[in-house]
Amino acid sequence: MTVSPQSTIQQELVDFLHSRTKKVWEEDTDLFASGGLSSLFAMEIVVHLEKTYDVSVRGKDLRLDNFRTVTSMATLVRRLQGAGDAGE
Amino acid sequence: MSDEYADAAAAVTALVAGRAGDWDLAGLIPEPLLRELGATGRLCATVPAEYGGPGWSSLAGGQFTAHVGSLCSSLRSVMTSQGMAAWTVERLGTAAQRRAYLPRLTSGELAAVGFSEPLAGSDLSAIGTTIRSEGGMLVVDGHKVWVTAAHYADLLVVFGRYGEGAAAVVIPADAPGVRVRRVADPMGCRAAGHAEVILEGVRLPADHLLGGDGLSLPLLVTTALAYGRISVAWGCVGILRGCLAAVASHVVSRRQFGEPLASHQLVARHVAELYVAEQTATRACEHASRCWDEGTPDMVGATVLAKHVGAVQAARGAATAVQVMASAGAQDGHVVARAHRDAKLMEIIEGSNEMCELMLAQHALATLEGS
Repeated sequence: MTVSPQSTIQQELVDFLHSRTKKVWEEDTDLFASGGLSSLFAMEIVVHLEKTYDVSVRGKDLRLDNFRTVTSMATLVRRLQGAGDAGE
Repeated sequence: MSDEYADAAAAVTALVAGRAGDWDLAGLIPEPLLRELGATGRLCATVPAEYGGPGWSSLAGGQFTAHVGSLCSSLRSVMTSQGMAAWTVERLGTAAQRRAYLPRLTSGELAAVGFSEPLAGSDLSAIGTTIRSEGGMLVVDGHKVWVTAAHYADLLVVFGRYGEGAAAVVIPADAPGVRVRRVADPMGCRAAGHAEVILEGVRLPADHLLGGDGLSLPLLVTTALAYGRISVAWGCVGILRGCLAAVASHVVSRRQFGEPLASHQLVARHVAELYVAEQTATRACEHASRCWDEGTPDMVGATVLAKHVGAVQAARGAATAVQVMASAGAQDGHVVARAHRDAKLMEIIEGSNEMCELMLAQHALATLEGS
């Protein structure tokens, strides 16, 4: 599987978050800190990553730390693109 | 697909054979029937074919769920539990765990999922069940309540605290330290096998753990409940269809004041309200299931919306149906009497009306704020 460049993923995620929340999020802002986003939104992000990057975010990757910032999500996506099935 | 769906719907109608009222009164569905249906894979019809499931889309599975719900909400509740257990294994399990458990869930074994506890209902962050590693084994202690289908289940999928985060475990119902006690006389879905599950020092091999270290409890629970919610939502569509069918046949055959009930405008309005309820719930479910099938992030909010719309419409619609049927439906076991009790529980289960409203308000504010 092709691994997308980190910067491309990060820009796309910033755009996605803006389109969904109408707010501007920095790449290292904690999305789930107080006043941030809900666990329902965390699941939306999981579904978005799966659909957009053709990866499968399963079991052991459902750590909130993986979704805490744009940077950590992009890192997760790149790892999953390189590693194949995350469930193995 | 359409033939396969029609066959499945006809087969389950024949299997139920008009006995839903008897099951409601007895508080039990014959277990061989559940296993027979389970062995077709249709208790969890969205499980992919590679694991022995029918591999239906969310939309096809939803239509089937609604059909079962129109016949018997207790049976539909068992389906919801089985499907949610399978979905949890699919989402949280490793490939090896999917291969180990999913074929069992599509070949006749039954499963239930435990979330609620005496001190953790809507607030699942208060879950006290613990899972810990000890000498290469897992040890589980806890107390789950209102576990749908647990009375029938071979496998219990249980959520608990694990290390710094949370995980789920698959527990054989006959493992030492597991006690399952049926809820006496539940108000609705009386034959769905609701039970409390008491876990005392239950020891399991390490590979029964779904997920891993440091997972987020809210994210795990949200993921598992998403399936439960879309399934309950379609089940509510079924409740409304069952009511609509009973009412439609009654109002044209029953005559009062020299004419069919349907000719009385106040009765006709009830029929219209019931039809609006059924159509509204159906559209909300179709939209949510299409989001599931397309894998769009909108599925999350759309699922809560469908669950909430379905439950509220079903509760209101079932009450209307009892009103129209009057003495003809006012006996336990009758389709509208069951619907009235079953639908009320749908306003509580898988996120009460109030919890759904809080989530929908948060969702609306998060997407609209600053726009």
